[in-house]
Amino acid sequence: MATNTLSTEKKFNWGGGKSPFSVSYGKLMMWIFLLSDAFTFSSLLIAYGFIRYSFQSPIHNLVVKPFDHLSHDFVQEMVEKTKYFVQDHWPSPELVFNHFPFIHGMHLPLFFVSLMTFILILSSVTMVLAVEAGHRNAKSEVSKYMLMTIIGGAMFLGCQAWEWTTFIGEGARLFGNPYGPRSFAALFFIVTGFHGFHVFSGVVLNVIIYINVLKGTYEKRGHYEMVEKVGLYWHFVDLVWVFVFTFFYLI
Amino acid sequence: MEHIEHLEHTETPKDMKSQIWKTFWILLAFTVVDIVIYFMLLSNHSMWKNWLFILLGVVKAYFIVGVFMHMKFERKTLMYSIIIPMIFVVFFVSLMIIEGDYTNLLRWFK
Repeated sequence: MATNTLSTEKKFNWGGGKSPFSVSYGKLMMWIFLLSDAFTFSSLLIAYGFIRYSFQSPIHNLVVKPFDHLSHDFVQEMVEKTKYFVQDHWPSPELVFNHFPFIHGMHLPLFFVSLMTFILILSSVTMVLAVEAGHRNAKSEVSKYMLMTIIGGAMFLGCQAWEWTTFIGEGARLFGNPYGPRSFAALFFIVTGFHGFHVFSGVVLNVIIYINVLKGTYEKRGHYEMVEKVGLYWHFVDLVWVFVFTFFYLI
Repeated sequence: MEHIEHLEHTETPKDMKSQIWKTFWILLAFTVVDIVIYFMLLSNHSMWKNWLFILLGVVKAYFIVGVFMHMKFERKTLMYSIIIPMIFVVFFVSLMIIEGDYTNLLRWFK
């Protein structure tokens, strides 16, 4: 009888008495939360894809040659000669987002967003390095990498703020913009704003965890699982940016 | 703490650090490829361009979720319960892009 129950326990993951997913409750719930959050973000991207393609494609894209939009003179001439930004054609994002902080009068298409992507991926790397250090219970390393992650997140937020300021300074508003369909700027503000809010909450969470690491809370607890959980959230924010970047600037 | 120790340890590879940096370079490379393809295919209006970008996004997602979020080393049940719903979501996104294109067509006949 006793051996019988023992073999059942071994055989079935869902027989009770142990975690069928082999992760802790907190981590599993973080995964479920991230899944639901992914649904929210995808609804925004679905809306973007639908609205973007319910408008005409950028006017002159059919006549441009590859890499034409990288040239400053070509773009300036094209935008000035022809009325490029019109109501029923979606604008080409690289002609709108071509500014870079401290560099004036130059046409640098998508350079700044690429830099933002780079910063966020790098902060994701430092986060996973913090998690890795947590496995070895190396407190000083965890705190070092957590601090780097926080700085990366703050830098990203700064970039986002600059991007918004420039865009608003050019006359873009939630209900209208000088570049084309109203929904172009509206979707930009809503999607990047929602993502930026997630980054902001991520930075706040990271700061809380960082303080706890410094206080030695997790050292006393014997494991750094909280760093892993917040790490999951932080990587998710990075993942969402990958798709926001793909949809907003490429599709 | 007690309930953590019950869990059998999911395997973490020994060379995790080098794997992390390798993933970083892969992600960076794919982002650069993304941008180069974008400027190369400026005049191309086919839907295939979009599927290519979405596919590249999914590849990047594979590396972020698999290595950074440790999903590669988790139990298969957890993996499938997160991944399968997202497959449908990617399908839905692609579907609505096509749908938007038809809406665009209808505007012409208005």
